[in-house]
Amino acid sequence: MRKVWQSDWFGPFAITLLAIVIVGVANPSFLSPFNIQILLLAISVNAMIAFSQMIIIAIGQMNLSVGAIGGLAAISFGGMMEVWGIPWPIAAILALMIGLLAGIANGAFVAFTGISAFVITLASLSVFKGINLGITEAQPFYKVPETVKALGNETFLHPLPWLVIPAVLVAVLLWYMLFRLPLGRNILAVGGNTHAAELSGISVPQIVTVAHAISGFLAALAGIMLVGRLQLGQPTIGDDWLILSFAAPVIGGAILTGGKVSVAGTFLGVAIVAIITQVLVLFNIDPFLVQVVLGGLILWAVGMNRWREVRAERQAVAAGT
Amino acid sequence: MSLMVSPDRADEGAGAARDTGEAPERELGPNAPLRFLLSNEFGLIILIILFAVIFSTLSPAFLSKFSLYALGRNAAVNIMIGFSMMVVIITGGLNLSVGSIGVTSAMFGGWLMQALGVPWVLGLLGGLAMGAALGAINGVIIVRSGLHSFIITLATMSIFFGVMIFLTQAESYREISPTLAGFGRLKILSVLSPLLVTSVVVGIALSVLFRFTALGREMLASGANPHAAELSGIRVERMISYCHMLSGMLAALAGLMLVSRTGAAIPSMAGQLGQDWLLPAFLGPVLGGTLLTGGRVSVLGTLLGAFLVTMLTSGLLLMQVGAFWVQTYLGLLLLAAVLLDLARRSYLAQRKLV
Repeated sequence: MRKVWQSDWFGPFAITLLAIVIVGVANPSFLSPFNIQILLLAISVNAMIAFSQMIIIAIGQMNLSVGAIGGLAAISFGGMMEVWGIPWPIAAILALMIGLLAGIANGAFVAFTGISAFVITLASLSVFKGINLGITEAQPFYKVPETVKALGNETFLHPLPWLVIPAVLVAVLLWYMLFRLPLGRNILAVGGNTHAAELSGISVPQIVTVAHAISGFLAALAGIMLVGRLQLGQPTIGDDWLILSFAAPVIGGAILTGGKVSVAGTFLGVAIVAIITQVLVLFNIDPFLVQVVLGGLILWAVGMNRWREVRAERQAVAAGT
Repeated sequence: MSLMVSPDRADEGAGAARDTGEAPERELGPNAPLRFLLSNEFGLIILIILFAVIFSTLSPAFLSKFSLYALGRNAAVNIMIGFSMMVVIITGGLNLSVGSIGVTSAMFGGWLMQALGVPWVLGLLGGLAMGAALGAINGVIIVRSGLHSFIITLATMSIFFGVMIFLTQAESYREISPTLAGFGRLKILSVLSPLLVTSVVVGIALSVLFRFTALGREMLASGANPHAAELSGIRVERMISYCHMLSGMLAALAGLMLVSRTGAAIPSMAGQLGQDWLLPAFLGPVLGGTLLTGGRVSVLGTLLGAFLVTMLTSGLLLMQVGAFWVQTYLGLLLLAAVLLDLARRSYLAQRKLV
């Protein structure tokens, strides 16, 4: 019981439950099937964005190009279907490959030059976004097949939308990989202490590249899901992902220096952000304030994580003396 | 770290002690000129001249009076944005909220002038004070929490911009004092923009600060080695707060320069959350050789770096590569710059020049 209470995901989970109850009582339309469907759609896409950043936070780095990769994959997906007439499943796989390659490029540059991930991904953000704008000239691809539109919006089991399936699948696989497979252990080891990981025989450049590859893949997946959701291949997809991609993992208890992330916590972080956004809409509060709330949530979450760290250190010191 | 502060001292040591054979004596002895030839600043000057020649041969319009004037005016803003990031980079941190602070301060200045009708000097000072205040908020939160500036400024970037958009309802202020708007359109000798003069003057002031004042040196020392600085009696936390405050003020100045250039304060002038400023903000200092780990600064390098970036942008636009592709080239440029810097440093280390 104590273990449950102290786990990373408990705090966000309690807040999520509390928020659902309070908002549900104050405004019953919040719990209507339609609203739940909308909420789940937002959570599904945003969870991919958050996981894409989380895997990089796990190795103690950051990826500024998450949005740019997602946008590039999104317009590639839309463009391949509209201009080349490629069937949507193949176009989706190709777009995912583009994301994977973009991630590998990021990872390889970071791993083999030793330049900070911040600078590399800032440069690649600009390169990927530039390619996106160069191809589309800022015009969206409108001809998205009806199947894709349906998959991006409709439900397979009322009120569960199709998009929930890939989201849950990714969450489970990611959890299994991080906490049950040697690869995940190595990723967390590199994030926890790069030097020690290297000494114990882990190939750090390889792990860094793999983590960035996963990040690129998930960002591309989010981009593709959004094309279905928005029903068009928008070049601006990904422009506003940066803050959210950091907010959700941090709310979920991730430590930015690496080595500690929580899949369930990140998922709940995404849910909290989605609920707050919905509440602002439901109660007719200015949508511009979403940005303020997101920033405030980040500050609150990193403050809480830091406080827990300091307290743990103090307890350790007290136990030692 | 002492390289920029006093190159002469390092010279003497290297010349006397490392004279062991292998490398020819000539290269080791008088290596101050050689080091200048290998410096970022010299490399940037060569690149600026090279690209100026290339662009002017390919497109004669590049050297027209208006083109040069526009180039200087655009460079002025990019230089100021670069300075704003530079003064935080020297502490080993970074400031993602430069764009957000720049726009928020400019909007505040615009509001003062339009809604309250204050004279332009007060509008300008009000904007700068807002920038300094927002920067100080960043600094205090970072120092008090002990967290990295990346995550704090990521959060405040969202908060500042959100509050600004909420208060202004995304409306522009177009009734800017004609004096201020006139300043941005003024031409000195028909080619030089007073905005560029402003940036150069600020650059000189920053050089003086970091080279000749105790405050500037304490800021640098805090970035180079916070622990050692603390032990030698420097109040590192205060210095870091000052750097963030200065960064906010310079970002505000960049925003106000944009207001003066366009004659209006527009909430979208730095893109969503001010993200459009991030690339120019890092390009200038990184090209100019300011170390991202802190402790070393090159004001001239940042100025030249930002100028080169602006020149490449306008040159590429003149050559009609398509406005949309320019961002890709700038990204590749940043990548090339950091790789070149890596190669240069390993070359210097091999030759024992550092």
